[in-house]
Amino acid sequence: MIRIPCPHCSARNSAEFRHVGEAAPRPDPSTATPEQWRVYLYERSNPAGWTTETWFHTMGCRRFISVERHTVTNEIRSARPVGSTGPGPAEALSARGDAGSPDAGGQA
Amino acid sequence: MWTRKGCVCVPETWTPVARSAITVPGPRSVVDGWEVSTRRSSAALRLSDASPLAKVSVRADPDGALAHALGVRFRSSHRRDGILVVGSGPGEWLLVGGVGAAHQIAEQVRGLAAGDFVTAIDVTHGRALMRLTGRDASRALSKVCAVDLSDAVTPEGAAFRTSVAKLTTDVVRDDAGAGTGEPSYLLHCERSSGQYLFECLLDAGMEFGVEPSGPTVDGGGA
Repeated sequence: MIRIPCPHCSARNSAEFRHVGEAAPRPDPSTATPEQWRVYLYERSNPAGWTTETWFHTMGCRRFISVERHTVTNEIRSARPVGSTGPGPAEALSARGDAGSPDAGGQA
Repeated sequence: MWTRKGCVCVPETWTPVARSAITVPGPRSVVDGWEVSTRRSSAALRLSDASPLAKVSVRADPDGALAHALGVRFRSSHRRDGILVVGSGPGEWLLVGGVGAAHQIAEQVRGLAAGDFVTAIDVTHGRALMRLTGRDASRALSKVCAVDLSDAVTPEGAAFRTSVAKLTTDVVRDDAGAGTGEPSYLLHCERSSGQYLFECLLDAGMEFGVEPSGPTVDGGGA
């Protein structure tokens, strides 16, 4: 189970999200070389450790969020709206402790 | 007398009849242009179809003039003049009003926008709406919804979009709308999934003696 503290909706099961992938700075299209574009599009550093990635909250706020996740322990140390440096507006609404059990949130 | 409309022959007195995506067993009648079940339940836990109520989806700048005029932020709801305003997402609202009032509500919203760019779309026939009411409503709902439904976390007026029975659903805690003083939840989903969600909630509520009920469309408000 991964529980993602959505900055808009607060903690939710990762099944509510779409994993977009590792975040990388986009090179300037007017000056980038084909090699730089190839690296931007296809190469991932894929560390065994802390990584910053983008998730999309499909079943909630429908916003992209930037999440710092440890790829070994799945610990999440921050989640904020993409492009923002501060925390999001989420406060109380929390998911239950068993939100990640196989059939939590559904029977389908 | 029959007249030709497009390529279909219909009686001259023909008026369209809308049907909810949800089928509630029982005798049927046509009320306000909707064919609805007249079944009423007095069980402790009731699941009623509320799809005929007017539903308007509004999108606008979350900090703009309309957001200010509506006065409802994401994750909360407020009832004003018989219209339930739900903050269903950042910069996204769902307005629920009396049967047939969708265009009027949309016009009203555009009037409040004060020149800002907003969209107000009548989604009445594209969405399903149902209401789960009763003392055990939160216990039944929590079987298919992972969000904490305790009064401390989701009190009266709370609104959130989450996975209910693996389906993206807008949930509104709306005890006032039920008018019985019991906990009550409005659930709003895509029309094509309406019957599925209805069946799932009936299944989840079985141990609490849930009974289906037809829409109460004569109440005017949500």
